[in-house]
Amino acid sequence: MLSEVSVLPYIFRRILQFIPTFLLATLLAFFIVQLAPGDFLSQLKENPSVRPETVERLRKEFGLDQPIIVQYFYWLKNFVMGNLGQSFQYKRPVNEVLPGPFMNSLILVIIGTVLHFAVSIPVGVYSAVRPYSTADKTFTFLSYIFLGIPSFFFALLVIWGMLKLQQNFGWDMPLGNKTSSKLPTDISWWRSAWDVFIHALAPTIILVLRGISSESRFIRGQLLEVLGQDYVRTARAKGVAENQVVYKHALRTALIPTIAGLGGLLPALIGGAGFIEVVFNWPGLTPLQLTALGNQDIYILQAVTAVATLLYLVGNLLSDVLLSVIDPRIRYH
Amino acid sequence: MTTTVPTPVRKPRSQSQWSIVWSQFKRNPLARVGLGLLGLLYLMAILAGFLAPYGLTEYSTTDRISWAPPTPIHWRDAQGHFGPYVNGIRRDIDMETFRDKYVEDTSVTCPVKFFQTHPGMEGRTYRFLGFIPTSLKLFSVDAPCKLYLWGSDSYGRDQFSRVMYGSQISLSIGIIASVLTVILGLIMGGIAGYFRGLTDTLIMRMVEVLSAIPELFLLITLRALFPLNADPILVFYIVIGILAVIGWGGLARIVRGQILSSREQDYVQAATALGASDTRIIAKHLLPNTATYIIIFLSLAIPGFILSESGLSFIGIGIVEPYASWGSLLKVAQDGGFESLDARPWTLIPGVFIVLAVLAWQFVGDGLRDAFDPRRRR
Repeated sequence: MLSEVSVLPYIFRRILQFIPTFLLATLLAFFIVQLAPGDFLSQLKENPSVRPETVERLRKEFGLDQPIIVQYFYWLKNFVMGNLGQSFQYKRPVNEVLPGPFMNSLILVIIGTVLHFAVSIPVGVYSAVRPYSTADKTFTFLSYIFLGIPSFFFALLVIWGMLKLQQNFGWDMPLGNKTSSKLPTDISWWRSAWDVFIHALAPTIILVLRGISSESRFIRGQLLEVLGQDYVRTARAKGVAENQVVYKHALRTALIPTIAGLGGLLPALIGGAGFIEVVFNWPGLTPLQLTALGNQDIYILQAVTAVATLLYLVGNLLSDVLLSVIDPRIRYH
Repeated sequence: MTTTVPTPVRKPRSQSQWSIVWSQFKRNPLARVGLGLLGLLYLMAILAGFLAPYGLTEYSTTDRISWAPPTPIHWRDAQGHFGPYVNGIRRDIDMETFRDKYVEDTSVTCPVKFFQTHPGMEGRTYRFLGFIPTSLKLFSVDAPCKLYLWGSDSYGRDQFSRVMYGSQISLSIGIIASVLTVILGLIMGGIAGYFRGLTDTLIMRMVEVLSAIPELFLLITLRALFPLNADPILVFYIVIGILAVIGWGGLARIVRGQILSSREQDYVQAATALGASDTRIIAKHLLPNTATYIIIFLSLAIPGFILSESGLSFIGIGIVEPYASWGSLLKVAQDGGFESLDARPWTLIPGVFIVLAVLAWQFVGDGLRDAFDPRRRR
């Protein structure tokens, strides 16, 4: 493809730009965590559950007796090498603790992303093709409601409703945690994957309702604007079928910002999933981070923040690249 | 010959910008609903002490009534007299689940009394409108009865009273935090846009770095700066501070952009030529340009902060006991696990107030945005 040639240097430039941001962001997070009350090294030595050898090893690996700025570079070096430090509450390296919750959060985010586009595009298009119809007004009203309702409160309401269904009809509800405890252990992989999926469904729907509400309104506005443009009128004038006009000519242009928003959507969902994970007891990153906060488990705090930041930046990069592929003008700025 | 008095030709009075905005705003039905709702909610917060039958932390140490359901109010007594009264509460054991449950003790009746003062009752004295100490309550019942309009919590505190008092924190935190955010954003954006160069680069880098860390994780990390068991009042200010720190970036960026474009205008150069100081130019000539934007920003930031605060309190790193906000009250519903949600659904009531407050502010904010926008005039 011709465009790839000119996209590559752009991507390279963007990656170069995001490195300092990542360094500064992790430095900031590092400072904040280190500024937390209490001298970390002496706390470690007094903690009976941490062995002296561990303290000695950490002191060496992370330069714990050095000034904070030096410690940061020790931490950064270890981070790049894939050593995230030691978790004190789990008594294991953070590298072993982190992947589970990370994958769990990612499950919610991936299903959420698919749902986000699968619902908001049809709803937005329908509302734009029939503006001010009853259905359009209903969608507008619903999106107002979903934007005003906090996700954790909505989650509580949904759980309450599911419990009521369970009681009144005896249905087995996929509630709480990631898998159902009643299942036998020796089931096929697709059966357990399905189990995880139906447990993830309710949290994901609540997670994306907010995004869908604003996105579908946005698509509606975009499409309405494009439908009023000259080239659409020309297409209609020369007798192109209405379906073709909407779906081929107008929608492609109208969806550009939406597709470019994909990169921003991923990190937004990772952040937004936090409250839902707490309410639904979903073993993701935020519950991990909250217990780490309670236990002053600073390497977990630091690692989760760094990984989330990395994800956020990669998402932004992705959306910039997508945008530059769709709209070549951007590359030249 | 008759002379007709020439009817004075009334010149159509030109409207000021504010009166146009106000008349546009009034024409928006959703905005009117939002404004009315906000009026009611803030009235509730101001009159919290008067509306709440009990004190914020009032509970009996001898006869603790945990998780009582909402007390039923009866209207016609055995003699046929009309008037609200409640029955006493008796603890009983559910023979099916072996859990405590509360049944009405019909042998004890207490009428609901209106406009009673409670001198000497601990926790019931409050300052009406902030300065008149009184213990006048809109409604109350005498001991031994309890009037739990929306049930009680694990200590036996009245949830209705706590929701009333909680509204003071929930509703004020949004406003205080957004005003702080605006001040921070204006100062930083103003400095960055006006002085440009290194200052600009530094401030904008800071904005970028702050926005690069996902919000929830930044909130949790910032909260780690302070001990979790800090003084409750201090925690209130910590939460406001944290919210303001994470919020100012977006506004600073916009203000900077506006100032960058308007500082090249002739009138700014004229002011410079006349020897006006930097402070004067920024405050008198540049910032007023951003007024419209700031009003809209404020009205849309407040619901955002109300949501953030309730979220923080909900996951246990915001407002702490003995104080209450709607978010921390909702945490009670979450803490007992799924089963308790089913057993005591009234713990969900505080959430309704969060939704109402957020929706009302959003309606008002959208209404203001449309009213200020000349292209959307009706």
